[in-house]
Amino acid sequence: MTEEIVFKTEADMPYLPMSLGTTLVNKTGSWRYIRPLYVDKTPPCNHNCPAGEDVVGYLALIEEGQYKEGWELIKQENPFPGVCGRVCPHPCESECNRRELGGAMAIHTLERFLADHAASQRTSVPASKRYDAKIAIIGSGPSGLSCAYHLGRRGYPVTVFEALPVVGGMMRVGIPEYRLPREVLEREIADIEALGVEIETNMRLGDNLKLSDLEDYQAIFIAVGLQKSRKLNVPGEDAEGVIPGLELLKRVNLGEEVQVGPSVAVIGGGNTAVDAARSALRLGSKVTILYRRSREEMPAIAGEIEEALAEGVKIRYLTAPIELLTENGWVMGLKCVKMELGEPDESGRRRPMPIAGSEYALKADTVIPAIGQEADTSFLETGSWELAVERGRIVIDWAGLTTREGVFSGGDVATPFGTVAHAVGSGKRAALAIDKYLRGEELSGFPPIDEAVHAVPKDIDPAIVRFEDLNLAYFEEIERTEQPQRPIEERVSGFEYFGWAQYREVNLGFNEEEAQAEAERCFNCGTCNLCDTCLIFCPDVAIARLMAPPYPVPLARLNGAGYEVNYDYCKGCGVCAEECPRCAISIEEEIKWKK
Amino acid sequence: MEKVIMGNHAVSYGAKLARAQVIAAYPITPQTQIVEMLSEFWAEGLLDAKFIKVESEHSAMAACIGASSAGARAFTATSSQGLALMHEMLHWAAGARLPIVMANVNRAMGPGWSIWTEQTDSLAQRDTGWLQFYCESNQEVLDSVIQAFKIAEQVLLPTMLVLDAFVLSHTQEPVDIPDQELVDRYLPPYDARYKLDPGDPHAFGAMVAPPHYMELRYKIQKAMEEAVEVARQADGEFREIFGRSYGLVEKYRLEDAEVVLVASATITSTARVVVDELREEGYKVGLLKVRMFRPFPTKDVREALAGARKVAVIDRNISFGHGGIFAEEIKSALYNGSHRPPIFGFIIGLGGRDVTPASIRGIAEYTFEHDTPEMEIIWREVKNS
Amino acid sequence: MSYAIPDEELLLSGHLACPGCGGSLSMRLALKALGEKTILVIPACCWSIIAGAFPYSSVKVPLMHTAFETGGSAAAGIKAALEVQGDTETTVLTWAGDGGTFDIGLQALSGAVERNEDFIYACYDNEAYMNTGIQRSSATPWGAWTTTTPVRHPKERPKKDIVAIMAAHRIPYTATATIAYPEDLVRKFQKAKGIRGAKFIHILSPCPPGWKMEPAYSIRISRLAVESKVFPLYEVETGEKWTITVWPKREVPVREYLKLQGRFSHLTEEDIEFIQENVDRQWERLGARAGQ
Repeated sequence: MTEEIVFKTEADMPYLPMSLGTTLVNKTGSWRYIRPLYVDKTPPCNHNCPAGEDVVGYLALIEEGQYKEGWELIKQENPFPGVCGRVCPHPCESECNRRELGGAMAIHTLERFLADHAASQRTSVPASKRYDAKIAIIGSGPSGLSCAYHLGRRGYPVTVFEALPVVGGMMRVGIPEYRLPREVLEREIADIEALGVEIETNMRLGDNLKLSDLEDYQAIFIAVGLQKSRKLNVPGEDAEGVIPGLELLKRVNLGEEVQVGPSVAVIGGGNTAVDAARSALRLGSKVTILYRRSREEMPAIAGEIEEALAEGVKIRYLTAPIELLTENGWVMGLKCVKMELGEPDESGRRRPMPIAGSEYALKADTVIPAIGQEADTSFLETGSWELAVERGRIVIDWAGLTTREGVFSGGDVATPFGTVAHAVGSGKRAALAIDKYLRGEELSGFPPIDEAVHAVPKDIDPAIVRFEDLNLAYFEEIERTEQPQRPIEERVSGFEYFGWAQYREVNLGFNEEEAQAEAERCFNCGTCNLCDTCLIFCPDVAIARLMAPPYPVPLARLNGAGYEVNYDYCKGCGVCAEECPRCAISIEEEIKWKK
Repeated sequence: MEKVIMGNHAVSYGAKLARAQVIAAYPITPQTQIVEMLSEFWAEGLLDAKFIKVESEHSAMAACIGASSAGARAFTATSSQGLALMHEMLHWAAGARLPIVMANVNRAMGPGWSIWTEQTDSLAQRDTGWLQFYCESNQEVLDSVIQAFKIAEQVLLPTMLVLDAFVLSHTQEPVDIPDQELVDRYLPPYDARYKLDPGDPHAFGAMVAPPHYMELRYKIQKAMEEAVEVARQADGEFREIFGRSYGLVEKYRLEDAEVVLVASATITSTARVVVDELREEGYKVGLLKVRMFRPFPTKDVREALAGARKVAVIDRNISFGHGGIFAEEIKSALYNGSHRPPIFGFIIGLGGRDVTPASIRGIAEYTFEHDTPEMEIIWREVKNS
Repeated sequence: MSYAIPDEELLLSGHLACPGCGGSLSMRLALKALGEKTILVIPACCWSIIAGAFPYSSVKVPLMHTAFETGGSAAAGIKAALEVQGDTETTVLTWAGDGGTFDIGLQALSGAVERNEDFIYACYDNEAYMNTGIQRSSATPWGAWTTTTPVRHPKERPKKDIVAIMAAHRIPYTATATIAYPEDLVRKFQKAKGIRGAKFIHILSPCPPGWKMEPAYSIRISRLAVESKVFPLYEVETGEKWTITVWPKREVPVREYLKLQGRFSHLTEEDIEFIQENVDRQWERLGARAGQ
């Protein structure tokens, strides 16, 4: 069929001009000066996820109905999909290209969907034990547990030391249950313990756990977080009735009794402030948040702020306390000053400046400062470790290594990011580094601290696909599905049922239908999903499917293995690349392919 | 069965007996009765064919080419302007090696409009690769349709049989219409060697570049050369089954002829009469009828004229800028042969002007009286010339 | 998200079309729609070359090349031959360019469809005599550059409305199609195959060298032609029932379509407005006929 036909004599020829073979002998690939290549690129969601999740991968799996596989895909990188699917500020959504055509993908809720589905199916991650080297992890917050999880998956024996009597760090004591039900966290912690990770509670480093005890371990990961609340530094701060936000949340989450007065003022604009405010509300108080900048600058998750307002929390913007008014050692009010916004400070936000003469008083019988957290590195003074600490944080390099050999650090004590997802990524980075360290390999190849690491490397082009790179002819504007929420009346009700009513989860997640419908909106940016557009439009029939269903890997992870360009015939017209709805085809100059 | 029918109807009977399967034709005087009678046959269920009442002759030939390419026995008929319009497709039919049969009623080309007989229309197509047979009688017409299919389907070249407008087409003569059974025995159904068939797909007629084109043309010429003997054999077989034959040429009283008249079509039958008369008067004159014009029967012509002292070719046609076409072809056929008598080229009867016994006698006498032609074209009966 | 298009390929690689050729893609889709029991008739046009030179062919169905003006008549002959031999199943498909349809082939086409010959006549229209080097035809749109309508004298006559001409013959089925809507094109061919009688499908076929456009934009420009209503997609049944089959998803001014093609780069603002007016009027007329 592809043999050239040669006529040696006239008698060899047919008596009329009739075809005897096909044009497959004609390798039109020689016409080409550019060639198409299937190159999966990075979607903004994958790029932005601090935990390094393969977001587009699991969105595609949801679309295919492969929930277990989607969950497993997340668990390759992040042990806490159920947690993150509830508490993460979802930077994946902020640059999701879908936001231009109906609203960003509800990735946050879809992650939660997969975790909840796995829970309902009792799926779990298998364990394997291969190594002898022991690793100690200080702190059972998200970064410590993430490190433990990734090391455990690789077969290392890990012991986690936790100062509190409960496991989970901020996830357990810093986030209220109406945002993160305890059983969700406990299930994901159980998955980690199932890998052989041991967690010892009530072990405080520098106290009953000595620095010298850690010499038994071949590598150490310090993930103690930021346990100290920052002080307001105003007069009256040490009176009774002043409870730092973290403290309030911890007591509530540990089931301890908390006294809050009927009139509560929360100072601060982050998630801790909002969480503390909503918790106080559930304890029966009237709550006002005082924030020194405006709404736009509030760092708390926007949805959480909206829920706070909907539940009845009041917020006063552009105001800050300058003195706590006390009586008999108890706080009874605040003297505040109004602020205006000046030039941006080092956080990029406009600096608040007090307006002279605008002081006023506010009644409050409980004041909850939540203006930030600081690390407690006092354990370093109990031994002879020399570990660089700068500006309140342990110094680490891109591999998470501190200035002391064999000691790694991560999470809030070593990085400035402050979210569970970042902490997960940070713990994973250290785990990968520890793995290399223990095998005597060089600690190289780690990306900068503000980029995610991947436990399972994705061989894709780091170029990020933006909205203008997509071919919109293939997409309709479809509105984003929002997850349903518990009605306000049912959230904050009957504190006579203290211990139960308060902790009803506010966000209710997606059911399967909603998850499916939402997942179908995903553009699959930069990721070939076998839509066949290139195949149908090739004028030279030079694109073929490499395989037929069922596929051995998720569609979204075929990474160019779904189709084959027949370069013998491809003329380099470029139609495939132009029409690919999701920018999964790149064009390169042919000349570099010629020898 | 014997019937007195016009030449056009003889064509119709021929096509019907030959079991033509696809007929695509466009009306033009003086061909119309051919297709009209075929339509009647078809309407009466006597002819199992598909009729395509095309909107021009060019389309008629294109449709025949399509039909023949798809394996059907295709037939059409036309005349002068129509034939000229088909010209491009005549080349196509031959190049595609399709055994299409066409009856052409010889008619003069316009302008001015003329519906009367002249041979220029078909002779002007002599380069297209079609076989051509010029018929003298309605019987010959009917028989030639049948022979044409047999020859065409063997050499795989299209074939036209030619009859004079009105003198044959509209003149009634007694014709023996053979039995279908005998025709079937002579002419089996068409079984195309290659055809348009989804079960065995090929492309036909694609671009042929210089490295291959010439060989395909060479093959056509070889097929033409082969056609001489194939035609002779087909004629011989025809005699065996039907008792009639015509030869590629016909020699009439040539044995000791000094002057040989060469004629074709109906002029031949008038010439026979004149030759007999002249022979009575002692002239050593004979007549060579050229029936098959393409392929040109060079061997037969040379052999027939081997003893002639002078040759008088009667052309009812002209190739402008040269001369009468039969005359030119005969000169060219004899040139490389061993015997080259002077050839007198007479042109007469253009536009249907009557060619009478007197006209032919005049031609014969002129030839006897002159040693050499004295001019390349000897025009006869032009006013005041 | 696979397409509702049959998988079987009847067009082979190695064919001689220019990169990005709309005519080759439309053939690929048409053959998928019709399947292997199809006989192709190709009068002189780009496809006479695309099909491959002797002794090769680029299609897996029988193909008869034929003279320029005989697309309609040759097909009629083939169909007659098939029927007289007892085959009423095989589809005869004439595949002609705009020159062989609108101009030199119009007579044979009109004759064939007037007689209601049972075949599909598809015209893949690249709006000029492209095979001979981009000369104007009566399918060339107003204002377009071609080698015989150079920039100082662009085409002054509007594009001939071939679909209206076909509809006026009252044939069972006439339709327009283009490559950016492959499922619509395939559906129309399949529908045509199921109808006895004459069917005409007019396909807009972008031509990178002739339209002076990027080969990669072939689909995009074809889509813009439909969205800007320059080339609406519709069907006409028995010359009376008009139905629009693809509604533009968004409003697109003709400028968007024109600006990607160098053959229109000399147009002035006035020219573009003139074109827009005509397109709008044509769309309204179509809407009125379609009662939509």
